[in-house]
Amino acid sequence: MKSWSISKNVFRRIRRDPRTLILVVLTPLFFILLYGISFSSTPKGLKLIVVNQDTGQASIRTEQVGRVNVPLNLGKKLIENLDHDVFTIVVRDDPDEARREVEMGEAWGALLLPPYFSNFLVSEALRRSGPREIDYNGQTINALPPLPPVNENNPPQPPTLILDNSNPVIAAGVYPAISKAFTGLIYEDESTLIDSSLMAIQPVYEKPITALDYTAPGVIGFAITLISIMLTSISIVRERTSGTLTRLLIAPVRAWEVSVGYMLAFLLIALFQAAELLLTSFYLFGIRFNGNPIWVFLIILIFSIGLQGVATLISTLAKNEFQAMQFILVILIPSIMLSGVFWPVETMPSSIQPIAWLNPLTHANAALRNVMLRGWDLSRIIPELSVLIGFAILMLILSIQSMKRQADTV
Amino acid sequence: MEKSVEAEGLSKKFNGFTVLDEMNLSVEQGQLYALIGPSGSGKTTFLRILCGFIRPDAGNIQVLGWRIPNFRVQSQLGYMPQETALYPDLTIMQNLEFFGELYDLPHDQVRERAEALLQLVQLENFKNQSIAALSGGMKRRVSLVVSMIHKPRLIVLDEPTVGIDPRLRVALWQYFRELTQQNISLLVTTHHMDEATRCHKIGLLSQGKLIAEGAPDELLKESGADSFDEAFTALEDRAKEVPA
Repeated sequence: MKSWSISKNVFRRIRRDPRTLILVVLTPLFFILLYGISFSSTPKGLKLIVVNQDTGQASIRTEQVGRVNVPLNLGKKLIENLDHDVFTIVVRDDPDEARREVEMGEAWGALLLPPYFSNFLVSEALRRSGPREIDYNGQTINALPPLPPVNENNPPQPPTLILDNSNPVIAAGVYPAISKAFTGLIYEDESTLIDSSLMAIQPVYEKPITALDYTAPGVIGFAITLISIMLTSISIVRERTSGTLTRLLIAPVRAWEVSVGYMLAFLLIALFQAAELLLTSFYLFGIRFNGNPIWVFLIILIFSIGLQGVATLISTLAKNEFQAMQFILVILIPSIMLSGVFWPVETMPSSIQPIAWLNPLTHANAALRNVMLRGWDLSRIIPELSVLIGFAILMLILSIQSMKRQADTV
Repeated sequence: MEKSVEAEGLSKKFNGFTVLDEMNLSVEQGQLYALIGPSGSGKTTFLRILCGFIRPDAGNIQVLGWRIPNFRVQSQLGYMPQETALYPDLTIMQNLEFFGELYDLPHDQVRERAEALLQLVQLENFKNQSIAALSGGMKRRVSLVVSMIHKPRLIVLDEPTVGIDPRLRVALWQYFRELTQQNISLLVTTHHMDEATRCHKIGLLSQGKLIAEGAPDELLKESGADSFDEAFTALEDRAKEVPA
């Protein structure tokens, strides 16, 4: 019960200290808002130059009426199909000028549509699909694939994308966004005909998972780590430097009761902050949430026990708040870099990977992702939870030991 | 008479530097004992050993009849550290209630006792004031009250009267004497030599050794000095002359 007295006292102090109260309530919100706003998975407003030289005419071989000319205007349609949120489209006439602008960094890409673009596209489509019925002047006729080109020296020109790939994230976004504009250009029911890929993709998760969805669980874990380690270790250091810890430890209170008291208070705070982070990311940024929130809270609860232990250890090592801050940075930065929050552990050099797997945040992150994105149940996150439980128990023991040591150093 | 504190041959070194050197000290039940010594003489180290925070390298210490560290001692020991050691954002009463809870005292009893003690230190009108808003002297007084909230049998006060005005200092010493009549023992460290005269017994600590111990007038007689400042110097010089 003394632990509970200590916890209550922590809350009473926070309630009466506006700065700490702000840190507790507003920091997670600030964190997730900043993240949600600044981190967007799809690029927006990318400047794309379009040079459309398409005559719009397609010459199609037919079974019934020989070769016919159809005004398809596929170049114009393609430009209309481009996502106008993703691209800010600038029209130019001269392909060379367009190329120069991209090279000068004035636009991210230039899409060059050659004079026989419509013709090229239809020929390619028919070559892939084989004979196909089309509607021509109100009658249905059978369009045939083109014959092999007679003049090999003058093959039809394909469209060209001049791409500034100096920024891989943007480059990776531009290409699929343009590919998407090709789909449905000729046949509304066919999406893979013109697409650069003929492979049919079957995603495991029905709705597409964006990069924002993918990083959100990690960012939540990271925010909890950052805030709770800071809050707990600074509180304990302050308690020691002010002498109140001496009073606590001289009273008939055991070291574990002090540790547990602190832990209890800051666990409740961590859960509150987790709720804040989840609700904001879900309702404000529409982050994917496929799993059961109870498991999310369970993961955060177990992980936080370990974090409280780390914070207590930091507070033992630090002589004052400033030193505590330095320890926090030294521990936090590598643990965030090597946790798979922003890039998967599998992409790290093999020499670094074992360290990443020793990092509890990696496992918290994986568990949160498995629940939030994959919608997995408790039974499927047992491996990650086991690691986190081990971490929590180890840190709990060490933190009680270190609390005893605090008594020696007061 | 039962001894409240009994230390025999206490020695403690830090990094090879001797802080306590076979120190002997005893405080009897109901005694007001002043431990006097310049800074660095080992007072704080002795108090830390007494409170069970550190272990001596050699020697024995018993507090209230038990060897320490002992959990039973902790509930009967009151300690006022040199720092304020209060929660600045909480009010006086909230601080007292919290520390009272740690001693398993019922809420009503804590409040009742807090009221009485605050009256003694003339802070009864400030009980709902937050600590941060108090003056240095007021904080010291609250700290004193906290160390006595659980009616300890032994109270250890580390420089209790620093920053407290003379009138209140007199009142406090008077109160300390009153406490001893209830069989409560007090061990006080102080720099104010004149305060020492109000104690039953004085111990002079120099370089980790208790160089003299006795009632105030005995010590004056022994040193042949007129004041305690002179007495301390004379006794310290004498201790240095005679090799241990």
